[in-house]
Amino acid sequence: MAMYQMQQHTRRRANDTEINMASCSRAQVISLYRMLMKESKKFPSYNYRTYALRRVKDGFRENLHVENPKTLDMLINQARENLAVIKRQVSIGLLYSVQRTVVEREPHL
Amino acid sequence: MRICSLVHCGSGLRNMAARIIARCVRSLNQRSVYFNRVNTAATLTAAPLTHGRTFSHLTNGHKSSLAQISGGSFQVFQWRQYGDLPPLSLETIHDRVLYVLKLYDKINPERLQATSHFMKDLGLDSLDQVEIIMAMEDEFGFEIPDAEAEKLMTPHEIVQYIADKKDVYE
Repeated sequence: MAMYQMQQHTRRRANDTEINMASCSRAQVISLYRMLMKESKKFPSYNYRTYALRRVKDGFRENLHVENPKTLDMLINQARENLAVIKRQVSIGLLYSVQRTVVEREPHL
Repeated sequence: MRICSLVHCGSGLRNMAARIIARCVRSLNQRSVYFNRVNTAATLTAAPLTHGRTFSHLTNGHKSSLAQISGGSFQVFQWRQYGDLPPLSLETIHDRVLYVLKLYDKINPERLQATSHFMKDLGLDSLDQVEIIMAMEDEFGFEIPDAEAEKLMTPHEIVQYIADKKDVYE
Protein backbone atom coordinates (compact mmCIF):
# COMPACT_ATOMS: atom_id res chain seq x y z
CA MET A 1 0.00 0.00 0.00
CA ALA A 2 2.80 2.36 0.89
CA MET A 3 4.56 1.40 -2.32
CA TYR A 4 1.48 2.35 -4.38
CA GLN A 5 1.27 5.73 -2.65
CA MET A 6 4.95 6.35 -3.29
CA GLN A 7 4.46 5.65 -6.97
CA GLN A 8 1.55 8.06 -7.10
CA HIS A 9 3.87 10.68 -5.70
CA THR A 10 6.17 10.44 -8.70
CA ARG A 11 3.45 11.59 -11.07
CA ARG A 12 4.69 13.89 -13.76
CA ARG A 13 2.72 15.90 -16.29
CA ALA A 14 2.94 13.70 -19.36
CA ASN A 15 3.71 16.08 -22.20
CA ASP A 16 5.87 13.93 -24.41
CA THR A 17 5.29 11.09 -26.82
CA GLU A 18 5.79 8.43 -24.12
CA ILE A 19 2.96 6.27 -22.81
CA ASN A 20 0.34 8.23 -20.88
CA MET A 21 -0.69 5.49 -18.52
CA ALA A 22 -0.88 5.44 -14.75
CA SER A 23 2.00 7.22 -13.07
CA CYS A 24 3.58 4.04 -11.81
CA SER A 25 4.41 2.60 -15.22
CA ARG A 26 6.03 5.73 -16.60
CA ALA A 27 8.51 6.03 -13.75
CA GLN A 28 9.03 2.28 -13.84
CA VAL A 29 9.78 2.30 -17.55
CA ILE A 30 12.26 5.13 -17.26
CA SER A 31 14.08 3.54 -14.34
CA LEU A 32 14.13 0.20 -16.16
CA TYR A 33 15.65 1.89 -19.20
CA ARG A 34 18.29 3.52 -17.04
CA MET A 35 19.19 0.32 -15.24
CA LEU A 36 19.37 -1.67 -18.47
CA MET A 37 21.69 0.89 -20.05
CA LYS A 38 23.90 1.01 -16.98
CA GLU A 39 24.25 -2.74 -16.75
CA SER A 40 24.86 -3.08 -20.49
CA LYS A 41 27.77 -0.67 -20.28
CA LYS A 42 29.54 -3.01 -17.89
CA PHE A 43 30.02 -5.81 -20.39
CA PRO A 44 33.73 -6.48 -20.78
CA SER A 45 33.31 -7.84 -24.30
CA TYR A 46 32.98 -5.23 -27.04
CA ASN A 47 30.48 -7.25 -29.09
CA TYR A 48 28.09 -7.98 -26.24
CA ARG A 49 28.28 -4.44 -24.99
CA THR A 50 27.46 -2.75 -28.27
CA TYR A 51 24.74 -5.27 -29.07
CA ALA A 52 23.07 -4.91 -25.70
CA LEU A 53 23.11 -1.10 -25.82
CA ARG A 54 21.74 -1.03 -29.34
CA ARG A 55 19.06 -3.63 -28.63
CA VAL A 56 17.90 -1.88 -25.47
CA LYS A 57 17.58 1.44 -27.29
CA ASP A 58 15.76 -0.04 -30.24
CA GLY A 59 13.51 -2.21 -28.10
CA PHE A 60 12.33 0.70 -25.99
CA ARG A 61 11.89 2.95 -28.97
CA GLU A 62 9.75 0.59 -31.00
CA ASN A 63 7.34 0.06 -28.09
CA LEU A 64 7.02 3.77 -27.46
CA HIS A 65 3.35 4.07 -28.34
CA VAL A 66 1.94 0.93 -26.76
CA GLU A 67 -1.28 1.69 -24.88
CA ASN A 68 -2.67 -1.73 -23.99
CA PRO A 69 -1.97 -2.33 -20.26
CA LYS A 70 -1.57 -6.08 -20.69
CA THR A 71 1.11 -5.76 -23.35
CA LEU A 72 2.73 -3.10 -21.20
CA ASP A 73 2.93 -5.42 -18.22
CA MET A 74 4.29 -8.22 -20.38
CA LEU A 75 6.92 -5.92 -21.85
CA ILE A 76 7.93 -4.62 -18.44
CA ASN A 77 8.34 -8.15 -17.13
CA GLN A 78 10.38 -9.07 -20.18
CA ALA A 79 12.61 -6.09 -19.55
CA ARG A 80 13.11 -7.13 -15.94
CA GLU A 81 14.10 -10.64 -16.97
CA ASN A 82 16.52 -9.27 -19.53
CA LEU A 83 18.01 -7.06 -16.86
CA ALA A 84 18.68 -10.14 -14.73
CA VAL A 85 20.20 -11.92 -17.73
CA ILE A 86 22.49 -8.98 -18.47
CA LYS A 87 23.64 -8.80 -14.86
CA ARG A 88 24.50 -12.49 -14.80
CA GLN A 89 26.31 -12.35 -18.12
CA VAL A 90 28.33 -9.35 -17.02
CA SER A 91 29.65 -11.20 -13.99
CA ILE A 92 30.40 -14.30 -16.06
CA GLY A 93 32.21 -12.17 -18.59
CA LEU A 94 34.30 -10.63 -15.86
CA LEU A 95 35.18 -14.07 -14.50
CA TYR A 96 36.45 -15.42 -17.80
CA SER A 97 38.01 -12.39 -19.41
CA VAL A 98 39.48 -12.40 -22.89
CA GLN A 99 41.95 -10.16 -24.66
CA ARG A 100 40.71 -6.80 -25.82
CA THR A 101 39.72 -6.66 -29.47
CA VAL A 102 41.57 -4.55 -32.03
CA VAL A 103 38.88 -1.88 -31.90
CA GLU A 104 39.38 -1.35 -28.19
CA ARG A 105 43.13 -1.37 -27.95
CA GLU A 106 45.02 1.84 -27.31
CA PRO A 107 46.42 3.25 -30.57
CA HIS A 108 50.01 2.24 -31.10
CA LEU A 109 52.15 5.32 -31.42
CA MET B 1 92.29 10.58 2.72
CA ARG B 2 93.04 6.94 2.81
CA ILE B 3 91.99 6.26 -0.77
CA CYS B 4 93.78 9.21 -2.27
CA SER B 5 96.97 8.21 -0.55
CA LEU B 6 96.69 4.70 -1.94
CA VAL B 7 96.24 5.99 -5.47
CA HIS B 8 99.18 8.20 -5.08
CA CYS B 9 101.30 5.29 -3.77
CA GLY B 10 100.59 3.64 -7.06
CA SER B 11 99.56 0.23 -5.68
CA GLY B 12 98.27 -1.03 -8.99
CA LEU B 13 96.55 -4.18 -7.69
CA ARG B 14 92.80 -3.70 -8.27
CA ASN B 15 91.89 -6.38 -5.68
CA MET B 16 93.66 -4.60 -2.91
CA ALA B 17 92.11 -1.27 -3.78
CA ALA B 18 88.68 -2.85 -3.89
CA ARG B 19 89.11 -4.43 -0.48
CA ILE B 20 90.18 -1.18 1.06
CA ILE B 21 87.33 0.68 -0.56
CA ALA B 22 84.93 -1.90 0.84
CA ARG B 23 86.37 -1.36 4.29
CA CYS B 24 85.93 2.38 3.93
CA VAL B 25 82.32 1.91 2.94
CA ARG B 26 81.64 -0.21 6.00
CA SER B 27 82.92 2.54 8.26
CA LEU B 28 80.88 5.15 6.44
CA ASN B 29 78.15 5.50 9.01
CA GLN B 30 80.52 7.00 11.54
CA ARG B 31 82.15 9.52 9.27
CA SER B 32 80.83 12.17 6.97
CA VAL B 33 82.88 11.33 3.92
CA TYR B 34 82.47 12.75 0.47
CA PHE B 35 83.20 10.31 -2.35
CA ASN B 36 83.60 11.70 -5.78
CA ARG B 37 84.05 9.04 -8.41
CA VAL B 38 83.99 5.84 -6.37
CA ASN B 39 81.46 3.32 -7.51
CA THR B 40 80.29 2.04 -4.15
CA ALA B 41 76.96 1.01 -2.74
CA ALA B 42 76.77 4.31 -0.86
CA THR B 43 76.63 6.51 -3.93
CA LEU B 44 74.33 4.09 -5.66
CA THR B 45 71.78 4.48 -2.90
CA ALA B 46 72.31 8.22 -2.67
CA ALA B 47 71.60 8.73 -6.37
CA PRO B 48 67.81 8.24 -6.21
CA LEU B 49 67.49 10.96 -3.60
CA THR B 50 69.43 13.49 -5.58
CA HIS B 51 67.26 13.06 -8.63
CA GLY B 52 64.24 13.81 -6.49
CA ARG B 53 62.17 10.73 -7.13
CA THR B 54 59.05 10.22 -5.09
CA PHE B 55 59.09 7.91 -2.11
CA SER B 56 56.09 6.53 -0.37
CA HIS B 57 57.89 6.43 2.98
CA LEU B 58 61.41 6.73 4.26
CA THR B 59 62.41 5.06 7.50
CA ASN B 60 64.24 7.11 10.03
CA GLY B 61 67.45 5.13 10.27
CA HIS B 62 67.84 4.90 6.51
CA LYS B 63 67.37 8.63 6.16
CA SER B 64 69.99 9.55 8.72
CA SER B 65 72.75 7.42 7.21
CA LEU B 66 72.12 8.72 3.71
CA ALA B 67 71.98 12.28 4.95
CA GLN B 68 75.36 11.77 6.48
CA ILE B 69 76.77 10.50 3.22
CA SER B 70 75.21 13.20 1.16
CA GLY B 71 76.90 15.91 3.16
CA GLY B 72 76.30 19.37 1.93
CA SER B 73 76.34 19.21 -1.85
CA PHE B 74 73.51 16.71 -2.45
CA GLN B 75 69.97 18.02 -2.16
CA VAL B 76 67.37 15.63 -0.86
CA PHE B 77 64.04 16.11 -2.59
CA GLN B 78 61.00 14.28 -1.34
CA TRP B 79 57.49 15.03 -2.30
CA ARG B 80 54.16 13.20 -2.40
CA GLN B 81 51.73 13.12 -5.26
CA TYR B 82 48.04 12.59 -4.60
CA GLY B 83 45.74 11.56 -7.40
CA ASP B 84 42.80 13.88 -8.06
CA LEU B 85 40.94 15.50 -10.93
CA PRO B 86 41.70 19.10 -11.94
CA PRO B 87 39.47 21.65 -10.19
CA LEU B 88 36.19 22.52 -11.89
CA SER B 89 34.93 25.99 -12.70
CA LEU B 90 31.56 27.09 -14.02
CA GLU B 91 33.08 27.84 -17.41
CA THR B 92 34.68 24.43 -17.82
CA ILE B 93 31.52 22.65 -16.68
CA HIS B 94 29.51 24.67 -19.20
CA ASP B 95 31.95 23.89 -22.01
CA ARG B 96 32.07 20.21 -21.23
CA VAL B 97 28.29 19.89 -21.02
CA LEU B 98 27.84 21.59 -24.39
CA TYR B 99 30.61 19.48 -25.89
CA VAL B 100 28.94 16.25 -24.81
CA LEU B 101 25.60 17.47 -26.12
CA LYS B 102 27.09 18.36 -29.47
CA LEU B 103 28.48 14.86 -29.78
CA TYR B 104 24.99 13.39 -29.36
CA ASP B 105 23.71 12.67 -32.83
CA LYS B 106 20.05 13.49 -32.24
CA ILE B 107 20.85 17.09 -31.38
CA ASN B 108 21.45 19.66 -34.08
CA PRO B 109 24.61 21.49 -32.90
CA GLU B 110 23.66 24.79 -34.51
CA ARG B 111 20.39 24.97 -32.63
CA LEU B 112 21.92 24.11 -29.29
CA GLN B 113 22.10 26.85 -26.68
CA ALA B 114 22.43 26.91 -22.93
CA THR B 115 18.73 27.50 -22.45
CA SER B 116 17.31 25.20 -25.11
CA HIS B 117 14.79 22.82 -23.59
CA PHE B 118 15.37 19.19 -24.56
CA MET B 119 11.77 18.33 -25.21
CA LYS B 120 10.25 21.61 -26.37
CA ASP B 121 13.09 23.17 -28.38
CA LEU B 122 15.18 20.22 -29.47
CA GLY B 123 12.34 17.74 -29.87
CA LEU B 124 13.87 14.97 -27.81
CA ASP B 125 12.23 12.14 -25.95
CA SER B 126 12.25 11.24 -22.28
CA LEU B 127 14.34 8.21 -23.25
CA ASP B 128 16.79 10.55 -25.00
CA GLN B 129 16.89 12.69 -21.90
CA VAL B 130 17.84 9.60 -19.88
CA GLU B 131 20.66 8.90 -22.33
CA ILE B 132 21.88 12.48 -22.12
CA ILE B 133 21.95 12.39 -18.31
CA MET B 134 23.85 9.09 -18.42
CA ALA B 135 26.39 10.69 -20.77
CA MET B 136 26.78 13.51 -18.26
CA GLU B 137 27.33 10.99 -15.48
CA ASP B 138 30.09 9.35 -17.53
CA GLU B 139 31.69 12.68 -18.35
CA PHE B 140 31.82 14.04 -14.81
CA GLY B 141 32.28 10.73 -13.06
CA PHE B 142 29.55 10.80 -10.43
CA GLU B 143 26.06 9.32 -10.12
CA ILE B 144 22.93 11.37 -10.61
CA PRO B 145 19.90 9.77 -8.91
CA ASP B 146 16.74 9.11 -10.92
CA ALA B 147 14.47 11.57 -9.14
CA GLU B 148 16.76 14.50 -9.78
CA ALA B 149 17.76 13.36 -13.25
CA GLU B 150 14.16 13.60 -14.46
CA LYS B 151 14.00 17.31 -13.68
CA LEU B 152 17.08 18.38 -15.67
CA MET B 153 15.63 19.63 -18.93
CA THR B 154 18.06 22.27 -20.21
CA PRO B 155 21.86 22.41 -20.40
CA HIS B 156 21.77 25.37 -18.02
CA GLU B 157 20.00 23.29 -15.37
CA ILE B 158 22.53 20.51 -15.81
CA VAL B 159 25.40 22.97 -15.30
CA GLN B 160 23.74 24.35 -12.19
CA TYR B 161 23.11 20.89 -10.77
CA ILE B 162 26.70 19.78 -11.32
CA ALA B 163 28.05 23.01 -9.83
CA ASP B 164 25.74 22.43 -6.88
CA LYS B 165 26.95 18.90 -6.32
CA LYS B 166 30.61 19.67 -6.83
CA ASP B 167 30.60 22.89 -4.75
CA VAL B 168 31.77 25.15 -7.57
CA TYR B 169 31.17 28.83 -6.92
CA GLU B 170 31.77 31.97 -8.96
